[in-house]
Amino acid sequence: MEIFEKRENGITIFSLNGRLDSNTSPEFDEKITKAIESGARFIVVDCQNLDYITSAGLRILNKTAKKLKQLNGKIVLCSMEDYVKEVFEISGFDTFLPIVPDLETALEQIKK
Amino acid sequence: MGLLKLKLRNSLDEIDRLFENIQSFGEAHGLNRKQAFQLNLVIEELFTNIVSYAYRDHDEHWILVTISCGDGRLTVRIEDDGIPFNPAAARKPDLKGPVEKRKIGGLGIHLCKELMNNMQYRRENNRNILTLTKTLPADA
Repeated sequence: MEIFEKRENGITIFSLNGRLDSNTSPEFDEKITKAIESGARFIVVDCQNLDYITSAGLRILNKTAKKLKQLNGKIVLCSMEDYVKEVFEISGFDTFLPIVPDLETALEQIKK
Repeated sequence: MGLLKLKLRNSLDEIDRLFENIQSFGEAHGLNRKQAFQLNLVIEELFTNIVSYAYRDHDEHWILVTISCGDGRLTVRIEDDGIPFNPAAARKPDLKGPVEKRKIGGLGIHLCKELMNNMQYRRENNRNILTLTKTLPADA
Protein backbone atom coordinates (compact mmCIF):
# COMPACT_ATOMS: atom_id res chain seq x y z
CA MET A 1 0.00 0.00 0.00
CA GLU A 2 1.32 3.41 -0.96
CA ILE A 3 -0.26 6.60 0.33
CA PHE A 4 0.51 9.87 -1.43
CA GLU A 5 -0.47 13.15 0.17
CA LYS A 6 -0.49 16.65 -1.28
CA ARG A 7 -2.07 20.01 -0.59
CA GLU A 8 -3.62 22.16 -3.25
CA ASN A 9 -5.53 25.41 -2.60
CA GLY A 10 -6.43 24.39 0.95
CA ILE A 11 -7.50 20.90 -0.09
CA THR A 12 -5.60 17.83 1.08
CA ILE A 13 -5.55 15.04 -1.48
CA PHE A 14 -4.71 11.47 -0.47
CA SER A 15 -4.08 9.01 -3.31
CA LEU A 16 -4.27 5.38 -2.28
CA ASN A 17 -2.37 2.77 -4.21
CA GLY A 18 -2.94 -0.90 -3.37
CA ARG A 19 -4.89 -2.61 -0.63
CA LEU A 20 -6.59 -0.93 2.31
CA ASP A 21 -7.03 -3.85 4.73
CA SER A 22 -6.50 -4.68 8.42
CA ASN A 23 -2.74 -4.47 7.99
CA THR A 24 -2.49 -1.26 5.98
CA SER A 25 -5.36 0.76 7.52
CA PRO A 26 -3.39 1.88 10.62
CA GLU A 27 -0.90 3.73 8.41
CA PHE A 28 -3.68 5.54 6.55
CA ASP A 29 -5.38 6.30 9.87
CA GLU A 30 -2.18 7.83 11.20
CA LYS A 31 -1.59 9.98 8.09
CA ILE A 32 -5.13 11.28 7.86
CA THR A 33 -5.28 11.98 11.62
CA LYS A 34 -2.01 13.89 11.42
CA ALA A 35 -3.28 15.95 8.47
CA ILE A 36 -6.44 16.93 10.40
CA GLU A 37 -4.37 17.81 13.46
CA SER A 38 -2.26 20.10 11.29
CA GLY A 39 -5.36 21.88 10.08
CA ALA A 40 -6.67 19.94 7.06
CA ARG A 41 -10.45 20.38 6.83
CA PHE A 42 -11.18 19.54 3.21
CA ILE A 43 -9.96 16.09 2.25
CA VAL A 44 -10.23 14.30 -1.09
CA VAL A 45 -9.38 10.60 -1.23
CA ASP A 46 -8.44 9.56 -4.76
CA CYS A 47 -9.22 5.84 -5.11
CA GLN A 48 -8.13 5.38 -8.73
CA ASN A 49 -5.44 2.87 -7.76
CA LEU A 50 -7.23 1.40 -4.76
CA ASP A 51 -7.58 -2.30 -5.60
CA TYR A 52 -9.13 -3.51 -2.42
CA ILE A 53 -10.87 -2.36 0.76
CA THR A 54 -12.24 -4.15 3.82
CA SER A 55 -14.27 -2.95 6.81
CA ALA A 56 -10.95 -1.95 8.41
CA GLY A 57 -10.59 0.70 5.70
CA LEU A 58 -14.23 1.74 6.05
CA ARG A 59 -13.60 2.25 9.76
CA ILE A 60 -10.98 4.93 9.04
CA LEU A 61 -13.23 6.76 6.57
CA ASN A 62 -16.16 6.63 9.00
CA LYS A 63 -13.98 8.05 11.78
CA THR A 64 -12.59 10.76 9.48
CA ALA A 65 -16.05 11.79 8.22
CA LYS A 66 -17.28 12.12 11.83
CA LYS A 67 -14.29 14.19 12.85
CA LEU A 68 -14.50 16.50 9.83
CA LYS A 69 -18.21 17.06 10.35
CA GLN A 70 -17.52 18.29 13.89
CA LEU A 71 -14.86 20.63 12.50
CA ASN A 72 -17.07 21.93 9.69
CA GLY A 73 -14.87 20.21 7.17
CA LYS A 74 -15.67 17.76 4.42
CA ILE A 75 -14.43 14.58 2.78
CA VAL A 76 -15.07 13.49 -0.81
CA LEU A 77 -13.97 10.23 -2.44
CA CYS A 78 -13.34 9.84 -6.16
CA SER A 79 -12.35 7.58 -9.07
CA MET A 80 -13.46 4.31 -7.54
CA GLU A 81 -13.69 0.92 -9.25
CA ASP A 82 -17.32 -0.25 -9.46
CA TYR A 83 -16.72 -3.24 -7.23
CA VAL A 84 -15.03 -1.07 -4.58
CA LYS A 85 -17.93 1.37 -4.73
CA GLU A 86 -20.34 -1.50 -4.20
CA VAL A 87 -18.73 -2.15 -0.79
CA PHE A 88 -19.52 1.45 0.24
CA GLU A 89 -23.09 1.06 -1.01
CA ILE A 90 -23.71 -2.26 0.78
CA SER A 91 -22.34 -0.67 3.97
CA GLY A 92 -24.61 2.34 3.57
CA PHE A 93 -21.57 4.60 3.53
CA ASP A 94 -22.57 6.29 0.29
CA THR A 95 -25.29 8.10 2.26
CA PHE A 96 -22.74 10.22 4.16
CA LEU A 97 -19.61 9.94 2.01
CA PRO A 98 -19.87 11.66 -1.37
CA ILE A 99 -18.33 9.43 -4.08
CA VAL A 100 -17.76 11.20 -7.41
CA PRO A 101 -16.42 9.86 -10.72
CA ASP A 102 -13.14 11.81 -10.99
CA LEU A 103 -10.67 14.05 -9.20
CA GLU A 104 -11.78 17.19 -11.02
CA THR A 105 -15.37 16.73 -9.82
CA ALA A 106 -14.12 15.99 -6.30
CA LEU A 107 -12.19 19.25 -6.17
CA GLU A 108 -15.30 21.14 -7.29
CA GLN A 109 -17.61 19.31 -4.86
CA ILE A 110 -15.48 19.70 -1.79
CA LYS A 111 -15.87 23.46 -1.52
CA LYS A 112 -19.62 23.44 -2.10
CA MET B 1 -13.62 -28.41 -10.04
CA GLY B 2 -11.13 -26.23 -8.18
CA LEU B 3 -10.08 -26.73 -4.61
CA LEU B 4 -7.87 -24.68 -2.30
CA LYS B 5 -7.11 -25.66 1.28
CA LEU B 6 -5.30 -23.25 3.56
CA LYS B 7 -4.13 -23.67 7.10
CA LEU B 8 -3.59 -20.24 8.63
CA ARG B 9 -2.18 -19.21 11.99
CA ASN B 10 -4.34 -16.91 14.13
CA SER B 11 -2.31 -13.86 13.13
CA LEU B 12 -3.06 -10.91 10.86
CA ASP B 13 0.36 -11.54 9.33
CA GLU B 14 -1.32 -14.34 7.40
CA ILE B 15 -3.45 -11.89 5.40
CA ASP B 16 -0.86 -11.44 2.65
CA ARG B 17 -0.52 -15.20 2.19
CA LEU B 18 -4.30 -15.50 2.15
CA PHE B 19 -4.52 -12.80 -0.53
CA GLU B 20 -1.80 -14.37 -2.73
CA ASN B 21 -3.43 -17.79 -2.56
CA ILE B 22 -6.89 -16.45 -3.39
CA GLN B 23 -5.50 -14.45 -6.32
CA SER B 24 -3.81 -17.56 -7.77
CA PHE B 25 -6.94 -19.62 -7.18
CA GLY B 26 -9.05 -16.99 -8.93
CA GLU B 27 -6.72 -16.83 -11.92
CA ALA B 28 -6.53 -20.63 -12.22
CA HIS B 29 -10.30 -21.00 -12.15
CA GLY B 30 -11.39 -18.09 -14.29
CA LEU B 31 -12.79 -15.78 -11.62
CA ASN B 32 -12.94 -12.20 -12.85
CA ARG B 33 -11.47 -9.30 -10.84
CA LYS B 34 -14.72 -8.51 -9.12
CA GLN B 35 -15.33 -12.12 -8.09
CA ALA B 36 -11.76 -12.53 -6.82
CA PHE B 37 -12.06 -9.23 -4.93
CA GLN B 38 -15.31 -10.27 -3.26
CA LEU B 39 -14.01 -13.73 -2.40
CA ASN B 40 -10.92 -12.19 -0.82
CA LEU B 41 -12.98 -9.63 1.08
CA VAL B 42 -15.40 -12.19 2.51
CA ILE B 43 -12.67 -14.54 3.71
CA GLU B 44 -10.52 -11.74 5.11
CA GLU B 45 -13.41 -10.22 7.09
CA LEU B 46 -14.24 -13.57 8.69
CA PHE B 47 -10.59 -14.47 9.25
CA THR B 48 -9.87 -11.09 10.88
CA ASN B 49 -12.90 -11.54 13.17
CA ILE B 50 -11.65 -14.96 14.28
CA VAL B 51 -8.11 -13.69 14.90
CA SER B 52 -9.40 -10.66 16.82
CA TYR B 53 -12.22 -12.16 18.90
CA ALA B 54 -12.25 -15.97 18.94
CA TYR B 55 -9.38 -16.65 21.32
CA ARG B 56 -9.03 -15.79 24.97
CA ASP B 57 -5.55 -17.21 25.29
CA HIS B 58 -2.36 -16.12 23.55
CA ASP B 59 -1.59 -19.52 22.10
CA GLU B 60 -1.16 -20.40 18.49
CA HIS B 61 -4.29 -21.73 16.78
CA TRP B 62 -4.98 -22.89 13.27
CA ILE B 63 -7.81 -21.63 11.10
CA LEU B 64 -8.74 -23.85 8.19
CA VAL B 65 -10.04 -22.23 5.01
CA THR B 66 -11.31 -24.31 2.12
CA ILE B 67 -12.44 -22.78 -1.15
CA SER B 68 -13.99 -24.81 -3.91
CA CYS B 69 -15.58 -23.91 -7.20
CA GLY B 70 -17.37 -25.89 -9.84
CA ASP B 71 -20.80 -26.26 -11.46
CA GLY B 72 -21.28 -22.52 -11.32
CA ARG B 73 -20.90 -22.42 -7.56
CA LEU B 74 -18.31 -21.07 -5.21
CA THR B 75 -18.12 -22.55 -1.70
CA VAL B 76 -16.06 -21.29 1.23
CA ARG B 77 -15.66 -23.21 4.46
CA ILE B 78 -13.95 -21.70 7.48
CA GLU B 79 -13.21 -23.74 10.56
CA ASP B 80 -11.74 -22.57 13.87
CA ASP B 81 -11.41 -23.81 17.46
CA GLY B 82 -12.31 -20.48 19.07
CA ILE B 83 -15.21 -19.59 21.37
CA PRO B 84 -18.65 -20.36 19.89
CA PHE B 85 -19.75 -17.60 17.53
CA ASN B 86 -22.45 -17.73 14.90
CA PRO B 87 -22.02 -14.91 12.36
CA ALA B 88 -25.15 -16.04 10.51
CA ALA B 89 -27.22 -14.95 13.54
CA ALA B 90 -25.48 -11.57 13.90
CA ARG B 91 -27.73 -8.51 13.79
CA LYS B 92 -27.71 -6.23 10.78
CA PRO B 93 -25.90 -2.98 11.54
CA ASP B 94 -27.51 0.45 11.13
CA LEU B 95 -27.01 1.40 7.48
CA LYS B 96 -29.09 4.55 7.29
CA GLY B 97 -28.52 6.85 10.26
CA PRO B 98 -26.42 10.03 10.23
CA VAL B 99 -22.64 9.66 10.29
CA GLU B 100 -22.45 10.49 14.02
CA LYS B 101 -24.45 7.39 14.87
CA ARG B 102 -22.82 4.92 12.52
CA LYS B 103 -20.84 2.13 14.07
CA ILE B 104 -18.42 -0.10 12.27
CA GLY B 105 -19.15 -3.22 14.36
CA GLY B 106 -20.97 -5.89 12.40
CA LEU B 107 -20.21 -4.35 9.03
CA GLY B 108 -17.75 -7.07 8.03
CA ILE B 109 -20.29 -9.84 8.60
CA HIS B 110 -22.98 -7.81 6.85
CA LEU B 111 -20.71 -7.51 3.79
CA CYS B 112 -20.12 -11.27 3.79
CA LYS B 113 -23.86 -11.97 3.87
CA GLU B 114 -24.55 -9.52 1.06
CA LEU B 115 -21.70 -10.65 -1.18
CA MET B 116 -22.46 -14.36 -0.81
CA ASN B 117 -25.83 -16.05 -1.38
CA ASN B 118 -25.88 -18.22 1.70
CA MET B 119 -24.18 -18.52 5.09
CA GLN B 120 -24.56 -21.55 7.36
CA TYR B 121 -23.08 -22.12 10.79
CA ARG B 122 -22.62 -25.16 12.92
CA ARG B 123 -20.72 -25.97 16.09
CA GLU B 124 -19.14 -29.39 16.00
CA ASN B 125 -16.53 -30.98 18.32
CA ASN B 126 -15.85 -27.58 19.93
CA ARG B 127 -15.21 -26.02 16.54
CA ASN B 128 -16.99 -23.28 14.61
CA ILE B 129 -17.71 -24.33 11.05
CA LEU B 130 -19.02 -21.70 8.69
CA THR B 131 -20.02 -22.51 5.13
CA LEU B 132 -20.77 -19.84 2.54
CA THR B 133 -21.91 -20.33 -1.00
CA LYS B 134 -22.34 -18.12 -4.02
CA THR B 135 -23.76 -18.85 -7.43
CA LEU B 136 -21.46 -17.72 -10.20
CA PRO B 137 -22.78 -16.39 -13.49
CA ALA B 138 -22.46 -18.81 -16.42
CA ASP B 139 -19.49 -17.03 -18.01
CA ALA B 140 -17.22 -17.50 -14.98
